[in-house]
Formats: sequence, structure tokens, C-alpha cells
Amino acid sequence: MKLITSNLLKFAICFALGSILFRFGLSWSITNHAVFEMWIIAILYFFLNAGIGWFFGKKDYESFPLNDIGFRFHLVTYVVFNIIWELWFLFGLQSREENGNFAPQIAFFWGIFLLIHFIIYLFNRKNTIKGIDKSEIFE
Amino acid sequence: MNRDNQVLELLSAWEDTYKKGQLTLWIFLSLKDGNKYVDEIKSFVEEQSNQTMSCESQSLYRNLRKYQHIGVVDFETGEGNKGPERKYYFLTALGKELLNQFVSRNINLFFNPKIKHLLNQED
Repeated sequence: MKLITSNLLKFAICFALGSILFRFGLSWSITNHAVFEMWIIAILYFFLNAGIGWFFGKKDYESFPLNDIGFRFHLVTYVVFNIIWELWFLFGLQSREENGNFAPQIAFFWGIFLLIHFIIYLFNRKNTIKGIDKSEIFE
Repeated sequence: MNRDNQVLELLSAWEDTYKKGQLTLWIFLSLKDGNKYVDEIKSFVEEQSNQTMSCESQSLYRNLRKYQHIGVVDFETGEGNKGPERKYYFLTALGKELLNQFVSRNINLFFNPKIKHLLNQED
């Protein structure tokens, strides 16, 4: 069974596009001191990505109920977000008023949560047979 | 509510619960009968269960993908009727052993003379 499924790939593309738009919006709002707009953009970004993650994750699970879907989607979110954030600073696209690159700190603290998620996934694996939850195999 | 309606309502509720988990047995029985593609499995299940079991093709594909993943079912491609090649599913050695053990532990109980007598006895 493929680890990178078509639904995961579609999610990664949508999330990458959303993250680029979010970064544009963030740079613009910081430059223009638009605090209210910055909050709106951040909230929209969060809920939109939670929505597409839920949509593609559900489709993936309905297609094949592997128990690592949640972790794989989380890992892709982490990798895509941090790559875009790093590239943004590498190409100097950040706002002039942004003081420093917080990407390493974000990657570190988020990485701790990702690690916890991985441990939970490993713990839950004992209830599976070849990655499928025992209660999901025979319907 | 008259007695007949009460029985029908209770029967429907019992059957809903009873049928959960039976699809696997019916799919395995259809494959024990011979290699089949999805539409043939669907027809076998519906006909042999006297239409008491119904299954959507999507649900069958989903289940067969899982069974293939755990190694109890596999397929070989064969020619379709004018269309693209079909997947003909069959039980693997592991699948056959699993079905045999399941039947001997859970189904053969009903062939015990005492239980058989009780099932056929009318009050």
C-alpha cells in the first residue's frame, strides 16, 4: 500500500498553495500594520487548512483505512509549512518589519508535538494488523 | 401496534445487528465457490442469501482491498466482456485456512443435532 496516496498529494498541493497565500498576506499585513486583517488571514488559514485536511483525510480513510493516516497528514503539513517558511526568508520575501526568522523555533516546538503524535501512532499500532485497525478489517 | 408489526420491527432491528460482520463470510464463501470479479461476488452474495444481504460494489472493492492487503485474498487479471481487463479475486492459502477455522468455530455449532433440532422445532 502506498504511503503517499493521491489524496495526501492533493492535500499537500492545496496546503502549499494556501501557505504561500498566507505568507503573502502575513507579509502584507505586517508591512501595513494591519493587525485586524492579519488575524482574519491567520484564522482563515487555520480553518481552511483544517477543512481540506479533514476532507482529504476522510477520503483517504474511506478508500483504505490505514491507521497512520493522521500521522502522515500531520507530517506532510509540518514539512510543507516549514519548507515554505524557510524559502520565504531565503528569497527575502518577508516584510521589512519582520524581526528575524522564527522558522527554526516553530519547527522545533511543532516537532515536539509531531514526535508525540508519532509515539501515539506507534502505541496504537498494537491494535492493528498490517496497519489496519483490527476492528476495521472485517465488516 | 399489532403483534405482526411488533415482530417485524423487532426482526428488522435484530437483523440489522446480525448482518453486521456477515459480509466477510459471504464474500469468502463466494470466493470458495470459485474465482470471481466484483459483480459476480455481488450476485452470488445477493442470490445465495435470498436477497437478505445486499452490498454495494464500492463497499466490496473497499473490503477486497483490505483483504488483499492482509493477505487473505488476491487477484489475477482476466479478460472482460468487451471492456477492460477484470480482476478475478480468489482466496489465498491463508484465506482458505481462515475461513475453515472460522466456520468450524462459529458456523458448525448450528449443525450440532441438539441445536439443529431446536432451530427446526416450532413452538
